Amino acid sequence: MTQSNVADAYRNNRVGPVLRASDLTEGVIEAAREDNPDKVIRVDDKVAYVRIDAEGELILRRETLERTLGRPFEMAELEVNLGSFAGRIETTSDYVRFYYEKKL
Amino acid sequence: MAILERSKWYDLARATNWTPRYVAESELFPETMSGSLGVERSKWEAYDEPYKTSYPEYVRIQREKDAAAYSVKAALERTKLLENAAPGWLSILKAHYGAIALGEYAAMSAEARMTRFGPAPGMRNMATFGMLDENRHAQLQLYFPHEHCKSDRQFDWAHKAYHSNEWAAIAARHTFDDLFLARDAISIAIMLTFAFETGFTNMQFLGLSADAAEVGDYTFSSLISSIQTDESRHAQIGGPALQVLLANGHKEEAQKRVYMGIARAWRIFGVLTGPAMDYYTPLSHRKQSFKEFMQEWIVGQFERSLIDLGLDLPWYWDKMIEEFDYQHHAYHLGVWFWRPTVWWNPAAGVSPDERDWLEEKYPGWNDTFGKCWDVITENVLKGNIDATKPETLPIVCNMSQLPICAVPGNGWNVRDYPLVHEGRTYHFNSEIDRWIFQQDPSRYRDHMTVVDRFLAGMIQPPDLSGALKYMNLAPGEMGDDADNYAWAEAWRNIAATRRAA
Repeated sequence: MTQSNVADAYRNNRVGPVLRASDLTEGVIEAAREDNPDKVIRVDDKVAYVRIDAEGELILRRETLERTLGRPFEMAELEVNLGSFAGRIETTSDYVRFYYEKKL
Repeated sequence: MAILERSKWYDLARATNWTPRYVAESELFPETMSGSLGVERSKWEAYDEPYKTSYPEYVRIQREKDAAAYSVKAALERTKLLENAAPGWLSILKAHYGAIALGEYAAMSAEARMTRFGPAPGMRNMATFGMLDENRHAQLQLYFPHEHCKSDRQFDWAHKAYHSNEWAAIAARHTFDDLFLARDAISIAIMLTFAFETGFTNMQFLGLSADAAEVGDYTFSSLISSIQTDESRHAQIGGPALQVLLANGHKEEAQKRVYMGIARAWRIFGVLTGPAMDYYTPLSHRKQSFKEFMQEWIVGQFERSLIDLGLDLPWYWDKMIEEFDYQHHAYHLGVWFWRPTVWWNPAAGVSPDERDWLEEKYPGWNDTFGKCWDVITENVLKGNIDATKPETLPIVCNMSQLPICAVPGNGWNVRDYPLVHEGRTYHFNSEIDRWIFQQDPSRYRDHMTVVDRFLAGMIQPPDLSGALKYMNLAPGEMGDDADNYAWAEAWRNIAATRRAA
C-alpha cells in the first residue's frame, strides 16, 4: 500500500450496508441484485462483517427481502445486523435506501 | 387491531417544539446546554433524522439483539476459548473493556443531554433511544468480562480503570470529557455522534470484530458488532444537525467541532486499536493491518460521507494520514516499555515472522521502530530484563495525555510542539493537538498530565513504586510482557543458526 492510494481512498461513490455475520446476508445480497438491476453489486466478505455496495445508490425493498429470505420481514429488522453502512441512509417501512448526494 | 405504519404518525408524534407559557424559551433551552449557536428553534424543525425508529420497534429489536449476544456467550462459555487463547488476545479484551465500558456511561449522559436540551424534536427523539443504547453497552461490557475476574484480576479493570489515576484511564477520561461529557447538545451531536461514532467506533467495534472472528472468539466478535448496530443508528443524530448549521451560516463553527472530534478520536484509537490489530492479535489471525482498516473505514467511508455533507476536509488531513504509518507503532513501543503501568499485558509482537509482516505492511519499519526493538531484543536475550524497563518519565502531551512520540531510528522525526500560555509551558504531540488547545485555552489550561503531577510532587515516593501506587496498580494487576518474552527466543535461534553458518 502506498501513501497516495490511502489518501485517495475517499474518491469513491460506493454505498450500501455492512452486515454482521448472520442468516440475513445471502438474502440481502440477492435482494440487492434484484432491487438494483442496473448496478453491479460488490460483496466484500470479512467473515465477521460483509460489505455490500453499489455505485451512488442502493435500495433494499421489504417485499423483495421477504421473497429472498422466504419469510415475513419488517424493514426495522435489518437493524439487528446492520453494523454500519456506507453513504447516507433513508429508512421507511417499505424500503431502505443508501445514497450519496454528490458524485465524486 | 390494525396498527398504523410508523410513517403515518411519526412526524406528528415527534412535533414537540411547544411554545412555553411559564418560562422563557431561553430558560427552557439555555444556550450553554443547548449550543444551538443562535439558530432559532423554528429553523431546527427542518432537522430530519434519516435513521428512524419508534419505541415499539426499538424494544423489539433491542430485545432480539440482546438475546443473540447473550446466547452466543452462553453457548460458548464451556468452550474454554479464553483459557487457551493467545495471551495477546486476552490483553486486547482487558484493554478494550477497561477503556470502553465506563466511557459508555459518559456517552449515556451525553445522549441524555441531547434528549433534554437538543433544539430539534427529532434529535431529542433519537437521543432518547441513544441514551438507552449506551446504557446497554456499558452493562454488556461490564457483564461479559465479569466471569473472568475470578481467574485474572486484570479483568477487574473493566470497572476499575475509570475510577483510577492510571495514565491510559486519564487519557480516555480527558478525551471523552472533552468530546461529549462536558459539551452542549449540538456539540455532542457533532463531536460524539458524527465524528466519533460514524467515524472511529467502526474501527474498534467492526474492524476488531473481524480479527476476533479469525481468532475464534465469537463471543467478543458478536458482542462488539452488536453494539455497533446501535451506534450505526444513533450516530445519525449528527448529520442533520450539521445540515441545519450549514444552512444557517455556521459552517465554520460546525467544522471546527468536527475537526476537534476527529483529531481527539484518532489519538485514542491510535493507542487502543493500533497495537491490538498490529501487535497483539496473533499473526495468523490478522485480517488486515491497522492502516488498512483506517483506509477502509476512515478514509473510504467516513471521509467520503463528510464531503457529501458539504464539509471541507480538516486542515490537518494529510498530516493525519501520514501518521497512519507511524503513530500507533510509537504508542505501542511506549506502552510495552512502560508495561508495569497498564492493566493488561502488552504483547511485544516482534518475533521474526511478526517483524516480516510489519515490514511488509509498513515499509521501513525495521529501519525505524525495528532499531529500538533490536536493542530491547538484545537485552532480553542477555537476560537483562531490567534494562527493558522504564527508569525515566516520558513527556506527555497536554492534549492527548499520551507520550509525545513519533518515528525513532533512521527516520527520526520526534519533536515537541510547545506553547506558552499565561506563563505556563504546554507540550504537544503535533500542531494538531496544539491547535485544539488554542481553540479554547481556558477549557484545558488547568489540567495536569500525569507527569505534571509527578513533577509537582503529587506522586510519592517519586519513583516507579510511587507511580504504581498513584495509579492503583497492585501486584497481579500491573502489566508485564504477555508472552513472558518467548518471542525473543526465536531470535536466539536465528542468531545461533547464523553463527553456525
